[in-house]
Amino acid sequence: MASKQSSTTVLLWRVAILLLLLAVWQWGYDLRAFAALKPYVPSFLDPYFVSKPSEIWKSFLRLGCLTDRGGTLHGWSGMTACLAEDANNIWMATAVTLKNTFWGFLGGTLSGIAVGLILGRSDFLSRVFEPYIVAFNSIPRIALVPLIILMFGLGDISKIVTAWIVVFFVVFFNTFEGTRAVDRDQIAASRLLGANSWTVTRTVVIPSTLAWVFASLTPAVSFALIGVIVGEFIGAERGIGKLIVEAEARANASEMMVAIFVLMVVGILLAIGVRRIQAYLLRWQPQFDQASA
Amino acid sequence: MGARPYTTAEPTPKAVTARKDVRVSVLSLDKAFGRGDAKVTAVDKVSFDIGRGEFVALLGPSGCGKSTILNMVAGLIPRTGGDILIDGKPMEQGQVRREIGYVFQRDTVFPWRSVEANVGYGLEIAGVPAGERRARVAEALDQVGLTAFAKAFPRTLSGGMRQRVALMRTLITQPEILLMDEPFGALDTHTKLEMHRILLQLWERERQTVLFVTHDLGEALTLADRIILLSARPGRLKEDFEVPLERPRDAVALRESPEFARLFSHIWHSLGEEFRKTKAE
Repeated sequence: MASKQSSTTVLLWRVAILLLLLAVWQWGYDLRAFAALKPYVPSFLDPYFVSKPSEIWKSFLRLGCLTDRGGTLHGWSGMTACLAEDANNIWMATAVTLKNTFWGFLGGTLSGIAVGLILGRSDFLSRVFEPYIVAFNSIPRIALVPLIILMFGLGDISKIVTAWIVVFFVVFFNTFEGTRAVDRDQIAASRLLGANSWTVTRTVVIPSTLAWVFASLTPAVSFALIGVIVGEFIGAERGIGKLIVEAEARANASEMMVAIFVLMVVGILLAIGVRRIQAYLLRWQPQFDQASA
Repeated sequence: MGARPYTTAEPTPKAVTARKDVRVSVLSLDKAFGRGDAKVTAVDKVSFDIGRGEFVALLGPSGCGKSTILNMVAGLIPRTGGDILIDGKPMEQGQVRREIGYVFQRDTVFPWRSVEANVGYGLEIAGVPAGERRARVAEALDQVGLTAFAKAFPRTLSGGMRQRVALMRTLITQPEILLMDEPFGALDTHTKLEMHRILLQLWERERQTVLFVTHDLGEALTLADRIILLSARPGRLKEDFEVPLERPRDAVALRESPEFARLFSHIWHSLGEEFRKTKAE
């Protein structure tokens, strides 16, 4: 009972803080009208820079083709016309960014796991490739983005490649470490039960490495999103990053804020998705007991 | 094949009795770790035979190399010298043999597999069809009272239950030679006795050839037909004697019998000497 009460209290406080923040954001700068308060209102609250919740909401409705520029609701036909007219409307931009994040994440994860397993299982190969991996890993990934865009163009492929490279190294290193941490007696047990080398890898090394791989997937999915957005900043035809850069060019803080909030929601949903998969695949581990129940 | 030259100082007459059917021969087995000045001899010219269907306990103080001997017989680690014959044929270095089953001291149950998937592992990789596999797994689980836990993951089981899973995971592949490395060493006394009861029951049915490593004299007496006593490091064969206790045995009742007590106290003194040597180091 006590814990239930306290969780209600926590929720109340959270809502109260949210409302307070929104109120300060919405009306805080207006307090400058009172001469006595003026010195206490920080200049970063200027709506020119940070916009206002009400303005951001209006921008969202407009970017989402839900209302026209005047703020009146579109009808069905108005909405489809608006969506057709603006190829980088917020829905389209989100879909494009998500799609590129997904492919980059998928490619980076699968190749990271594959290379991690191969090098982890072969002492020879891991010694041969070690200096190359260390050297390549030392390059800040973001520094490669202009090069990638030069190579793959302004389209989606350059964003996918960026996300891929960022994700690859995170997953690769975790998988590699994971293969080193496999219980030797479990491998011996598997061999004694008749497993050949590939069977040992498939039935012992991979499942026991999965825990390590998954530890890297939550950061990897955020990195994939970062990779795609940075790619879109530097050169793109569409996507949320492109939306932000365009809004910046027009000094339109509201639109930028809309894009940032959309990214926040996307980031949260991706993290929840990964955690769901993780909880299912690692349900044999004690810490995921409740998560799977 | 009968009379092997045992390297013990005074071979007990029983040990030299010719056995009709030798399954495993260990011939002047050596193991050293490291080289040069850092070289440590772990096992020193150990020889013994195990007859078909015989249950042999390899008994000795901690660090006497008994697990090392077992691992060499299993083909898990290379030997420095000597030979291991299975059915009279020499074993190649580092070779893992089909007819050998091994039960580890440490918990090696696969935590990501359910109890039934663990027990069925050996059959699965041998390509046994799913239907037959299910039936055999169900039977195996029934034998050790784990039917209700078939779908459970190992983390929800106690140490004793997990070791029963490990035991059945090995036994279900029907190994003719069973190597056991202090499999019940980590269990509390009560659970240990329960495991002895289960193991004796299972063994009475199949009569596998068993080499069982332990430092627990009571355990060796309860389970084995014969006890091979190793000296403290380096491991040398010290004594090799039969356990004159009737079969089938009841693991609990046996402990209360006067013969058990007499044997125990007799060997205890011989063994005590070796244990004192390790402590003195």
